[in-house]
Amino acid sequence: MIPYRQLAGWAVFGGVMCLLPLVLPPGILRMVIFANFLAIFALSWDFISGRTGYVSFGHPFLIAIGAYSTAILSFRFDWPLIISIPSAVLITVISGLFFFVPALRIRGTYFALVTLAFMELAYQLTQVLRPDITGGTRGISGITSIVSGAVPNFYLSFSILFVAALLLWFLARTRMGTALAAVRMDEGAVTASGLSTIRLKLFAFGVSALVAGIGGAFYVHYLGSIAPRAMFDINFLFQILVAALIGGSTTIAGPIIGAFFLTFLLEYLRPFIDGPERFLIFGSVALIVYVLKPNGIYSILESGYGLALARFRRFRPEGGPAK
Amino acid sequence: MLNLLIQGLALSGLYALIAVGFTMIFSVGRVLNLAYGTYIMLGGYVYFTIVQEQGLPKVAGFAGALIAGGLFAVIVYEFLVRRLEGNPKAVSISTLILAVAMQALIVLIYRPTSKSMWPVINGVFRYEEIFVTYNVIVATVTSWVALGGLLILVRYTQFGRAVRAVSMDRKGAVISGIDPERMNRATWMISGALGALAGVFFATYTQLFPSMWVWPLIIAVAVVVVGGIGSIIGSLIVAHIIGFMEVVTTTYIAAELRGVFTMLLIIIVLVMAPKGLFGRGDI
Amino acid sequence: MKLLTIAKRGVGVAAFAGATALAMPVGPALAADPVVIGYIGSLSSDTGLSAYRGAQIAVDELNAGGGILGGREIKLVAADTQEDVTEGIKAYEYLNEVENADFILSGSIDDVSLGWLPRMAEFRTPTLDTWTSYIGIIEMVVADYEKYKMYFMNVGNDLALGTVYIDFGRDVLARQMGWKTVVMLQEDTAFAGAVGGFVGEELNAQAGIEVVETIVYDTQTVDFAPIYNKAAALKPDFLFLISSVNSQVPSSQYVKLQVPVPMTGINVAAIGLDFWNDTGGAGGGQSTFSPLPAIGMDFDPVSQAFVDTYIARYGDDRPIFPHFNGFNAYFGLKNAVAAAERAGGFEPLDDWVREMENTDVVLEKDGQLWHRYAYWKPGEIEPRTGLEFTHNIKFDMEAPYDDGIPPMVIIQWYHDGSPRVVYPPKYANGEFQVPPWIK
Repeated sequence: MIPYRQLAGWAVFGGVMCLLPLVLPPGILRMVIFANFLAIFALSWDFISGRTGYVSFGHPFLIAIGAYSTAILSFRFDWPLIISIPSAVLITVISGLFFFVPALRIRGTYFALVTLAFMELAYQLTQVLRPDITGGTRGISGITSIVSGAVPNFYLSFSILFVAALLLWFLARTRMGTALAAVRMDEGAVTASGLSTIRLKLFAFGVSALVAGIGGAFYVHYLGSIAPRAMFDINFLFQILVAALIGGSTTIAGPIIGAFFLTFLLEYLRPFIDGPERFLIFGSVALIVYVLKPNGIYSILESGYGLALARFRRFRPEGGPAK
Repeated sequence: MLNLLIQGLALSGLYALIAVGFTMIFSVGRVLNLAYGTYIMLGGYVYFTIVQEQGLPKVAGFAGALIAGGLFAVIVYEFLVRRLEGNPKAVSISTLILAVAMQALIVLIYRPTSKSMWPVINGVFRYEEIFVTYNVIVATVTSWVALGGLLILVRYTQFGRAVRAVSMDRKGAVISGIDPERMNRATWMISGALGALAGVFFATYTQLFPSMWVWPLIIAVAVVVVGGIGSIIGSLIVAHIIGFMEVVTTTYIAAELRGVFTMLLIIIVLVMAPKGLFGRGDI
Repeated sequence: MKLLTIAKRGVGVAAFAGATALAMPVGPALAADPVVIGYIGSLSSDTGLSAYRGAQIAVDELNAGGGILGGREIKLVAADTQEDVTEGIKAYEYLNEVENADFILSGSIDDVSLGWLPRMAEFRTPTLDTWTSYIGIIEMVVADYEKYKMYFMNVGNDLALGTVYIDFGRDVLARQMGWKTVVMLQEDTAFAGAVGGFVGEELNAQAGIEVVETIVYDTQTVDFAPIYNKAAALKPDFLFLISSVNSQVPSSQYVKLQVPVPMTGINVAAIGLDFWNDTGGAGGGQSTFSPLPAIGMDFDPVSQAFVDTYIARYGDDRPIFPHFNGFNAYFGLKNAVAAAERAGGFEPLDDWVREMENTDVVLEKDGQLWHRYAYWKPGEIEPRTGLEFTHNIKFDMEAPYDDGIPPMVIIQWYHDGSPRVVYPPKYANGEFQVPPWIK
């Protein structure tokens, strides 16, 4: 049961993206880099929130843990990146457990609130605890970059996205992945059928935190700077949520489509309208799509594809070469 | 000691007023309306426009704020919440998106620069070393009146019984001739108006600025969640716990840790006692 | 009404874009490609708009005078940061990689500047900052000149600002008012932490004023009554407020509560002329620092001409009067262009940097130095602190101030709504006051 069609889809996606630097100017590539990172974060968010139904409003907390850890280790303590980045990912996965513990007892909206409280708490603590290390409200600037220039950074960020997406796609197809959907539908039934929901949830949270940590760590080395206002922020959460939802939750393609759609919508509006108007339009579009099409752009594309396919088949002559 | 008591009562009164409209929606519809903070913001800005920019009397300012808050809440209910009914997660996500979009709208109209509001009533009450503004005293009294009125409305009126009936058993309510849509609209409207009223006082304490909705929302969430769903008395008690905790923290421990304790309280109570300190009380 | 002005602004932008699009193909000569100057900062905050408008006025004057670098027109492109760190990074990339800016003028706040600084080091675009005063950035230029030499800061850094405050404390607060004890009220930001620590120590050492207590408060604090009650109970001679975020909350509650202790310090909300309307006319008695040129000053003729142009053009639309960084943007942009004229362009970078370092524009009033735009060169030592401040605006921290401007002045808002300068004496046109409810 090898899913040839989907594998072909992955190959086309990877191939097309790898050719982008040949056709796009560096200014547009920079937008694609941001879209790549946003897609990683949205995928990570969706793996908990979309699949298991434990909506996380504190995802920037996990991303920021990864980002801050490697920033501090490499900038303040001069660790080489090859050690600081894996350490940061490990720290993020452990922090994911902070999320996991409340999820043992509460779910739904309450869980979302606890994660939001985590994010706000972390925001307040970076200003109060050891500002000499975190840089306090100003943060840290001049963090080592891995590669410089738009094209190398594009390839780096896209590789991470591609590997992360492929990993999540693969995991979602395993038995563990299928069982996650059951957690969303009916936790009681899962327990009754002899599966451990605790193990399932631990798996989902671990994977999500892993992807968030990798994304956060590479993101901060791309940005070159970090500040609490850029990380523990409702606007950041808003972008992640909206990217995943507008693209299509519980899919792999959805969050990626959403991230690209949003980034380009915002950036293309820049020359025409400046400032808050862009965010107003952005929020309104997100809201309209979400209310009218809760399954996002992916479902629109999918039904469009189905329709086109059906039409194509209908127009095919009866004795055609099909099969 | 007396100082602590006065400061604590004053702040708790404001927090109770902020939370009460949120409690109402939560208790009736069981939905987490994260756009609640925008009612507070709307109330403040509308009052500011009417009273401070147009120079009209304060009564007009209050009326305008209450109408704007109530109207906006009904719009949110009709066009967003009702369409997503039965999916509380979708409601909380979409109201959060709405709140961020509203913030952008406020920046667009009023610019991001913060604005000061005049107190509703001028003057300072002094007793030995203690000073409290009359404005704060008015806010506290208003909050008690609003809470008391709400309690009477929900417990002892026909309207209150109908609302409670809808929240407990929708089908049963329909059978006994109650229109649940009308009840829901009315509840949302009252919630929006109360939020806007709280917003006017909140803004006279602090200032008007586009992200001013975040902290009151956190307070409202904390009060409702810690107090237990839909318990008005529970909310009142928890507003006082949070208010006094904050005054004690700023005065005796460290003023910068003010918010940290509130967050910790939310997390600990939600994890240890998900139903809140005062349980799933009916009202 | 406001929506209308915004709509007008939108139309203006569109018309401008259309005009340049039309002008480009039929332009007189291909050799006269426009020089692109980027503006990075908020396009809706008072601070950001001051800098942007200062830049616009400078650009219009230069274009009206026949363009620059051999008759080329300047095209000013704005990228809005919305005071958001990540948006700031995107905006810096946009100006470089889409608009190919030759020079960037910034009206960014501290953490936004720090956010795009690594991009500046990568693109190596000449950049002039007009608002942030964070000494950490100057320290980066000093420590790694090769990497950051394209950066200039047109406002005195935090340490320099703090030093003048110590002098004010010694001359006015200690000697004139006779105050001996203070309670510091500072927000929990990096800015306040740095300034507060320094001012607290030095007030004690140089002015003999003892810090009784330091209260660090959360910037989201709703109710300051417990804090003021606590501070007043300690019975200090005065309070020293350091507030750069949500500044109107502590200052307006101070007035509403009529706290029985005088208060001075840093209140960023009070450095613009719009402050009076924003407080609904209740801002009297407040005093704050402001870098030069500040509101309430008597200006030299050149700066006055800029003010007149600004008011004629924007006077009804807030900010109704340029903040200090509006002046800095106007003069800074002209200085950067003049350096480019001398160096033969913004490229090569080393030539422009050398000429920018040689900038020395002195503005005089009544035959005295009133303002000086020059920058500290690498290796140059500031005599009072014994430190290097490479590429910071050149300031003079000793009393006659005849070698440069003092890093800042103290402004006092009077009860009739007029701001006055009360320190240093060279610029003063008013007296330091305490609020009327204090005997």
